[in-house]
Amino acid sequence: MTAPLLSATALTRTYAVGEERVVGVRDAALSLERGELAVLAGPSGSGKTTLLNLLGLLDRPDSGRLELLGEDVSTLDDRGRARLRREKLGFVFQSHQLVPVLSAEENVALALWIRGLPEAECRVRARAALAAVGLAGMEGRRPDAMSGGQRQRVAVARAIVGEPALVLADEPTASLDSETAARLLDLFDALHAEKGIAFLFSSHDPRIVERVPRRVRLVDGRIASDERTGGGAT
Amino acid sequence: MTLRWWRLAARNLLRHRRRTFLTGSIVVVGYVAATMTAGFVAQTFGGLKDITIRGQGGHLRVVSAEAVGKTDEEAAGLLLDDAEELTRSVATSPDVRQAMPRLSFFGLVAHGDRSVGYMGTGTVPALEKSATLAAEAVAEGTFLSDPEADEVMLGGGLARSLGVTVGGLVTVMTTTPDGGLNAVDAEVVAVLRWPIKELDDRVLFLPYAPAARLLKAEGKATSIAVTLKEGTDLERAAGALRARLHRTGTPAAVKTWIESAPFYVAVKRLYAAIFLFTGLVLATVVVLAAANTMTMSVFERTREIGTLLAIGMERGQVRRLFLAEGLLMGLAGSVAGAVASLLIRAAVNAARIELPPPPGATSGGALHVELIPLAFGVGFVLMTVTLLVASWWPARRAARLDPVEALSHV
Repeated sequence: MTAPLLSATALTRTYAVGEERVVGVRDAALSLERGELAVLAGPSGSGKTTLLNLLGLLDRPDSGRLELLGEDVSTLDDRGRARLRREKLGFVFQSHQLVPVLSAEENVALALWIRGLPEAECRVRARAALAAVGLAGMEGRRPDAMSGGQRQRVAVARAIVGEPALVLADEPTASLDSETAARLLDLFDALHAEKGIAFLFSSHDPRIVERVPRRVRLVDGRIASDERTGGGAT
Repeated sequence: MTLRWWRLAARNLLRHRRRTFLTGSIVVVGYVAATMTAGFVAQTFGGLKDITIRGQGGHLRVVSAEAVGKTDEEAAGLLLDDAEELTRSVATSPDVRQAMPRLSFFGLVAHGDRSVGYMGTGTVPALEKSATLAAEAVAEGTFLSDPEADEVMLGGGLARSLGVTVGGLVTVMTTTPDGGLNAVDAEVVAVLRWPIKELDDRVLFLPYAPAARLLKAEGKATSIAVTLKEGTDLERAAGALRARLHRTGTPAAVKTWIESAPFYVAVKRLYAAIFLFTGLVLATVVVLAAANTMTMSVFERTREIGTLLAIGMERGQVRRLFLAEGLLMGLAGSVAGAVASLLIRAAVNAARIELPPPPGATSGGALHVELIPLAFGVGFVLMTVTLLVASWWPARRAARLDPVEALSHV
């Protein structure tokens, strides 16, 4: 029996605000299978981004346990977490977060540069990733010469170029118009179907929440429900 | 770091061209100031060294063994016997270009009813002319020509004090080594403009023969002034000469020009301290300017750094990227500084700017900045290291950012 892609048990994360401690996430338990498509849904301040940051190894929980592909990552140091992020995970942020002085191809290749892969291989794989997101022929363009939707596609290409097991996307459609957002969601569907990449979104955008087969709803930092389309709620 | 990271660092520097240009300009100014100052100081040292050596009659002086540790005035009466033979022996040393016997003496020189104290040198005119300052210092008249003639050359200040000009007669009086008084009458054949004011008021030259008669020291010398061949190592030559004298049992000592020039050593130390202080000020200004630029860059790129950390970049890679930016700025600034320094140096030297006489001197000179390759190399290293130091703290700050906080930075 293979380990789940991701398994979180009783994750809790609090923040100091002045002299008080504010709960970001409390006792979150979540398991994600390989190739799964899920969304963390909930209103602003419900803890979606906090939980996504914990699951993406960007933040450390105060307590709880987290396993990625069967490996306990709770005790890993900074370098170990950075290694897992670049080898097993991909990230798409609300704003594209591209490096403005790099071309589209270089922005995508950046995810491979930090692995120390040879330049030629980085370029070939970056071009393939750009083609996969529908940006063939735009390799040389810099972010400031691209539309918002195109930039977000470059960000998606950067997230998938390393063939991660899981892509975490924080409010990926928040800064896009409806038509562009719909095309981006189609792209996520296609990448999921073609490459078997698991996606975990954080969003309160109904266009995402309604399309994704698994919806994990958070309220005040707690997981209030975990529903699957065609399946029962947990 | 591979080429692609250097390329990224270079492009990052060009994001804010004006800011990078301004910071780079400070590096250029620092580099130019360091190399030009070094060139000027080198020229000053070179000139001072030349004046000092030629003022002493040569690079080395062979003196009586008893003269070691004594002032020139105290040692004036300590004479070397058989100076002619000793001079001939010294002159045959392989490092030696010229050796000449000199007599040093002090006393009063009189003209009419005026008498003034002097510092006298009895010398071989032809040799003195070829190796010392005296030939260039002739302001009026002609250099001593006859080694036997009762002729004298006076410093300009001394001549003015006496109220004598070329062609006038003076009486040179001194105390002989055995304590008696003696005098010679001599015709003034030249008035000198000695570059050091205090000496210009005292200096007097007689040919060796009348000087020896005056001192009753025929065949003797206070010192043998030795001029070395071009490029000879001073200490090595001094050592070889000492060994030679020791082998022959000659009761004489060898003094290098530096040992007889405490003024030169003191001035050199003073300049070195000024140069070091100026360098520290420059380095501080460059560090502050560059650190400010790099800190602003880190602040503006906080979200980008958060993204890089999020996608798995190691903290060390982030640190190296920012250090590379500092290093590139240092290298580019140094290259531009080297070019600017060469151009400015050429312009300054071509302008032949006259400098006022330094304190204690009778004449200035044209400003000339020497080309010191070592200063260019040191400037290159200094500016590059300075920029690395300036980048260290911002780079460290960037590398220690928390990715979550960095990504939410507004």
